[in-house]
Amino acid sequence: MAVRETAEAIKNARDIINQFAVIVRTAQIHDPNNVAVLTAIDRLIVTVNPFVDAGSSLHLELIGEFFYLNEARIRYPMEYLLNFDFLVREFKRRGLGNITVSSRITSEDIQKFVKAFISCSFSGEPFQALSKALADVHSLTVGHLKKISEEGEFDVRRLVKKTYFNAVSYTKGVITKIQGGEKFSIKKAKRVVESMVDMILEEEELLIGMTAIKDYDEYTYHHSVNVSILSVALGQRLGLNKKALTEIGLVALFHDIGKIEVPAEILNKPTNFSEDEWRIMKRHPFWGVRAILKLKGLDATSIRTAIVAFEHHLNYDMSGYPRISKPLVLDFYSKIVSLADQYDAMTSARVYSRIPLAPDKALSIMMERAGTQLDPLLFKFFINMIGVFPIGTLVLLDTKELGLVYGCNTMFPDRPRVLVIIDGTGKRIESRIVDLTERGPRGAYVRSIVKTMDPNKYRINLAEYLL
Amino acid sequence: MGRLEEIKLAKEIIQALLKAKKAVRMYPENNPIYARTVDDVLLKFQDFFTSRSDLHLRIKQNELFLDTEQIYHNPDKEDNLALFFFKDGLRELIFDKDLAKNELDEFLKIIALDFDREAVEDDIVTLLWEKDFHAIKYVVDEAFLLEDDTYESRAVSEVKSLAPQNDELLKAYADAFTADDVKDISIVNLSDKDLQTLVREIEKDLEEKTGKLSEILFEMLFHTESSIEYNDIYHFLTDVIFYSLRHGDLKTVVEIMKKADEIAASPASSENSKHQMRLLTKTLSSDESIKYLGEILESEEALDDTLIHEYVSFLEKDAIPPFISTLGQLKSIHGRKQVINILIGIGKKDLPALAKGLHDSRWYVVRNIIYILRHIGDKKAVEYLLSTARHSDVRVRKESIKALGELKSPLALQILRDCLDDIDTSIRRTSAKSLSSIGSETAKQLLMRKISEKDFKKKDLEEKKEFYEALSRWNDDAMADFVLKTLRKKSIFNKASVDENRACAAYCLGIMERTEALSALSKLKDTKNRLLREYVNAALKRIKHGS
Repeated sequence: MAVRETAEAIKNARDIINQFAVIVRTAQIHDPNNVAVLTAIDRLIVTVNPFVDAGSSLHLELIGEFFYLNEARIRYPMEYLLNFDFLVREFKRRGLGNITVSSRITSEDIQKFVKAFISCSFSGEPFQALSKALADVHSLTVGHLKKISEEGEFDVRRLVKKTYFNAVSYTKGVITKIQGGEKFSIKKAKRVVESMVDMILEEEELLIGMTAIKDYDEYTYHHSVNVSILSVALGQRLGLNKKALTEIGLVALFHDIGKIEVPAEILNKPTNFSEDEWRIMKRHPFWGVRAILKLKGLDATSIRTAIVAFEHHLNYDMSGYPRISKPLVLDFYSKIVSLADQYDAMTSARVYSRIPLAPDKALSIMMERAGTQLDPLLFKFFINMIGVFPIGTLVLLDTKELGLVYGCNTMFPDRPRVLVIIDGTGKRIESRIVDLTERGPRGAYVRSIVKTMDPNKYRINLAEYLL
Repeated sequence: MGRLEEIKLAKEIIQALLKAKKAVRMYPENNPIYARTVDDVLLKFQDFFTSRSDLHLRIKQNELFLDTEQIYHNPDKEDNLALFFFKDGLRELIFDKDLAKNELDEFLKIIALDFDREAVEDDIVTLLWEKDFHAIKYVVDEAFLLEDDTYESRAVSEVKSLAPQNDELLKAYADAFTADDVKDISIVNLSDKDLQTLVREIEKDLEEKTGKLSEILFEMLFHTESSIEYNDIYHFLTDVIFYSLRHGDLKTVVEIMKKADEIAASPASSENSKHQMRLLTKTLSSDESIKYLGEILESEEALDDTLIHEYVSFLEKDAIPPFISTLGQLKSIHGRKQVINILIGIGKKDLPALAKGLHDSRWYVVRNIIYILRHIGDKKAVEYLLSTARHSDVRVRKESIKALGELKSPLALQILRDCLDDIDTSIRRTSAKSLSSIGSETAKQLLMRKISEKDFKKKDLEEKKEFYEALSRWNDDAMADFVLKTLRKKSIFNKASVDENRACAAYCLGIMERTEALSALSKLKDTKNRLLREYVNAALKRIKHGS
């Protein structure tokens, strides 16, 4: 009985959010009194009122990018993705943080709410307008979207940093052990990746932001962790479950393990590779499979890791390396890891081309490769994940301030948080964070990005600002 | 509820968990003890939740605490619940009042795992993490994951020290005003079609990956640059075969073997690679492989006969002994049938190896081997079968006699003759049938002599009937005469048994459809003896109208 109740509660929570999104979407097209809207409202009532009848109120809250129903985070299946994302965006647009239903709700109550919800978006202060319009609806109340406090954010950043460097340190330890012919604990590897997955589920943009710093001395380890983070983040966008995210994180962490066989003088060569050196370099997928299968024997994870180690340079159209005699169907994880790998490699120094690219340049090159070297569908998700202005992008604002993108905003990709480092008069200043979603008294945005530039070109050390 | 009462209830929960840890390990889920155990633990939690909204346990190496109160202590390493949690980094466990039975059940299954003995790939934290419980939360100390706890500070200071003394920030600022304006870059919209494609791809991704790995390993063969690399790949392919068999994936094994055959047969392949690929066949025929195959054959899952047939075609004679051993271990009839069919296929490659199974201590294995030899149909098997006709188990002897008959070897006549006098009626009857199968003149004489014996008529009706039926295969004039004589034979003494014998003779003439017997049979069609009358009339009908 209890099993059924729990499953039922989860399903109801998803349905409430989904149904609510359906109502708003339908009402944006039709009049809120339209039969399609009313039918959708009736369906919502059937799901909501049992909560109230059971004696508990229903509290739906948006925290970060996720909905919580009575304090439990609502996970949702793929088919709900569009509606969930839509609702997150609409809540944020109005500054709406939560809705509490404390007594039985009627169709009229919801109609009033929907009308107010739609009309308030045209107001300069949407949340206040919504709140005012609902003054005479007693069954439900609304609350303002809570901002994460600066202090809280500082702690979170510290935690994100810790998770990132733990992973790099662990990777370094593992690679050293493998080079020394020692075994390593896969249980520990899983725990490391699980902590990254947790961080991505809660603080995706911050952990992705950690991958933007590319000047570390130990490129190999950082690259492995970066590819793992980007792959998990993409996997999360694709709706993979936690177990699958751990698997892809692990697989990605060891995608380049074959490079342990590449002589250090080639791996660290400051100039371009000779033909022979390229030939050796291109053997690392082969060596990767060998290393993985020798180390761990066969199980579901090692099989997957070996497959990705072999395929991550093979390309979507099989034009890459190693050359193969018969076309293979590229593994789903291989396609994800290829995207993450190419992006991180292109935006880093000391890889094959030796010239780090700015994120937007890398994305536009990848855009050209989508459909040939890269999976075009997964690339769509990837570009959405990286964002229009990735963390670390150097930007000029319309206030003549210069800054670095510090935090992305998934719902308003063109309005990230920016670390201002030069003020409007052209003077270097003690850096400060500004949020580009901030509006002035007349409702206009206070700041907007007008130009973007490559920080590498001006030898700007991102670590100094972002770490 | 008072503080002391809370502590008492918390202690009871711990004891219930310890008890459940054992019960869940010991009993299957559908066992009433299992269900009762989970219910008991849940009840203890519910008692506690009447006064507190959660049970918050702090974990130390050998102790568990409720707030500051120690509620569990165990200094031993064995069966130490605190240590069990502590060693993987768990430091706090919080059970919320919303704890549902299904979550508790899953939690108990995790703590019931024997991490030291079972091949559990994950630690307790990973297992809890994967379950993502709603009402069970935990705090973990990640310190033990750190390979180097100074790494972060070193890496950060190093990367910061890389900062150029004079960056060109002001130049960037100056250039910014002349840089290109931001283009209108919008987020890529995802269509419903995109999502459907993605869902399909994710569903497809659930397929087994060993086949894919084996494809890659064969591709890798083309990239090997030394015999060491080639040997490595050969070993990986061997591992894939075992792994696939362990997971019931015959398809992958068959695909591997087909490719290995291609390489072994290709003139372009080196001698070493041909040799290695041939060795894969040996792997397939090894004890370990056959043991796993036995498990697959015994499983309830529907198996593709064509696939099994393809698989068997790669087996060598080395597979015979492990198959015999597997035959003795399998419990299900359908599994044993599959193995028997396989042995009928490969047993002919090495009869002596197969015949070794005749010395097995289990009667049913011996009987199965005789059955296999019978179906192989090679006369060479007779020399092995002769001894089994004297086996201590009557079921084995019966099978052996049947086989000897079907193999039609004159070597079997002596033993079959002896068996006609066996104390077991089923052996005597089977021997008669076997002599009939052999069909030689000697066999005929043996049977006729036996039927002519004085005491033959004393045998029960069914046995007599079978002997006459055996005779009917020699459907010639001499045999018709011999049987007609019996039919006509009257007696004052032992009239009943003599008439029974005559009835069997009528039965035999009917089978042979001898028209010259019509007259003799017609005379008896109204005879008083009911049995004789029935058999005579049946024979008349058969001779006149055919069977």
